[in-house]
Amino acid sequence: MSLDPIQVMKGPDPIPNTCPSASNGESKASWEDSKDIHENTKKPKTGPVRRARKVEGGIFFPKPENAVTIAVSSRVLFLTETEQKVFEQKGVEEYLRYQVEHENEPFAPGPAFPFVKALETVNARLRELYPDSEELFDIVLVTYNHAHVGVRLINTINYHNLFIERFCMTGGSSPIGYLKAWHTNLYLSADAEKVQEALAEGIAAATMFMPEKEVEVSETQLRVAFDGDAVLFSDESERIFKAHGLDKFFEHERENENTLLDHGPLKGFLEVLGKLQKKFYAKGHRLDCPIRTYLVTARSAASSGIRALKTLRAWGLEIDEALFLAGAPKGPMLEKIRPHIFFDDQMFHVEGAREMGAFAAHVPYGIAQKYPHKKSTNAGK
Amino acid sequence: AQNSLIIALQHHDIFDLESPNADTEVLPKGIAFSFIKAVHAVNQRLVSHNSSESLGFEVILIANECSEESKVKIVENVKHYGMEICKFYFCKKDEVIKTLQSNNVKLFLSTDSDEIYKALHADVPAAVLYDQTGVLDQLKVTFSGDIIGLPEDSLDSLADLGFSEAQIKTFKSAKICMKEFAGLIGEMRRRFGHENSPLCTCLITVWGSRNICLSALKTLGGWGLDVDEAFCMAGAPCSPILALVKPHILWDGGLHNLRDVPNFEL
Repeated sequence: MSLDPIQVMKGPDPIPNTCPSASNGESKASWEDSKDIHENTKKPKTGPVRRARKVEGGIFFPKPENAVTIAVSSRVLFLTETEQKVFEQKGVEEYLRYQVEHENEPFAPGPAFPFVKALETVNARLRELYPDSEELFDIVLVTYNHAHVGVRLINTINYHNLFIERFCMTGGSSPIGYLKAWHTNLYLSADAEKVQEALAEGIAAATMFMPEKEVEVSETQLRVAFDGDAVLFSDESERIFKAHGLDKFFEHERENENTLLDHGPLKGFLEVLGKLQKKFYAKGHRLDCPIRTYLVTARSAASSGIRALKTLRAWGLEIDEALFLAGAPKGPMLEKIRPHIFFDDQMFHVEGAREMGAFAAHVPYGIAQKYPHKKSTNAGK
Repeated sequence: AQNSLIIALQHHDIFDLESPNADTEVLPKGIAFSFIKAVHAVNQRLVSHNSSESLGFEVILIANECSEESKVKIVENVKHYGMEICKFYFCKKDEVIKTLQSNNVKLFLSTDSDEIYKALHADVPAAVLYDQTGVLDQLKVTFSGDIIGLPEDSLDSLADLGFSEAQIKTFKSAKICMKEFAGLIGEMRRRFGHENSPLCTCLITVWGSRNICLSALKTLGGWGLDVDEAFCMAGAPCSPILALVKPHILWDGGLHNLRDVPNFEL
């Protein structure tokens, strides 16, 4: 997403917005609006008329490069464990047959579902304040499922009333090229390999997991929490800690307090969130901003945390709440925050978060993937 | 083969006649080369699964306004490259449509969108021969979800968007042509499994919403074709996606290549 001055989109109108018969009869806000567009803006039948994309009260689809594009796979948006088992145990033909047999049964929500719902809430607020703007979240379903599963997936999207109009079902080919074509800002998948491929291409990506406890998250405010090292920042300090231990780590951080940390894979995503936040602030919505960001780090405020804060400040990034745990477990803090998504590079923390009922996402980046956290050394940083 | 899917190509798409080397004995390869190879591979696989297979592709070549010398050159080059082309039709430019109609052609492939449009308007099935720069090991056929997914009465209401009656008639024509072709391709596709297939089918919906795409998937299913890949753009530019899909054949009913609807940008 690049922030150019607000653009009015030119180009052909999506056909179904003017064809009420194309909707499936359910009353959804977007289809009702489309019907109104058709009735209120009847054009004379003489020749084509250019219609700008902005129509009052209408919903339009932003250009991928202007929007914050979130690509989600079907396995994180929905719960597909049963189907996954069929695939693993009986192979692709049986799997596809099973999907087609059940195509009218909607899937249950998966770990990314509340996150996607929260993005839609933010979009609704953005559209109220900036009706012409394309700076919105754009959700694309990117799955390497065969299109046979497409009917069931679209039925499910309709059932849950999700505002997802764009998708890529690649029928088994790698989705990575498509992520780039869609100018993806964040990719969520159940497949760690695909996520690592995306990270290698410079696309923020993570695998997501269902929490082990039921949890209620906010329906009015999108909450995104980030670990610091190897997520927002590079894993350089993590490497020192793993190689030389805690004392060396402290020493290194102290010596380099005024040297900026290098950026990590999720820095860009925090950046685009910040730009959207500023749009709310500009219209006087700082206190009730529907986006809130958190830093949840094992660093400690008194010492090693300073370098993190200075780096964020130098990058011009604001984070709403910075929580320095000095090595304490992250779970209880996350239970209080209830983020829609929490990014961490260490599976140990992701598991801990899940246990406490948080929606956690694993970013398979950096040194922690080679040397996973040992439970016995739960030391503070 | 009895159950042949006859596909017509033109000589200037098979050979690159614009190239500086077009004067030599051996003509340089044109855009359709990759397509012909892929079709050949499908035919071979069909026969290898079942030696008495009746279903298969037949490629015919149409050349218009050729000198006697050129005619010989074309036939020689087809032989030289070992292409499986069953029939050659040399005719005048304005006889092309008639030639297509009288030969039970199931698909006329061209790189010229005006030609495609004219053919569809005459109820001749026609689609875009996509510019293939790579060499795929699969024949890829792509259908437009916008045409297929819109029900009849919605196609009529395209008039409100400024499409002319003639254009709408062409879309309807295209839909009928697509139906027959989809049924045959679907039958062929079922001869192979989901993995390692020499034939891959794809649906791309450029302007329509997800429900148009859903309608297209179901319609194609009803016609006997379950596509492998599906993309729904909802207004986003489709060329980056098509560059990855790399189809040989793009059935768009003329919708995405219109030139005389001035205010439409694609």
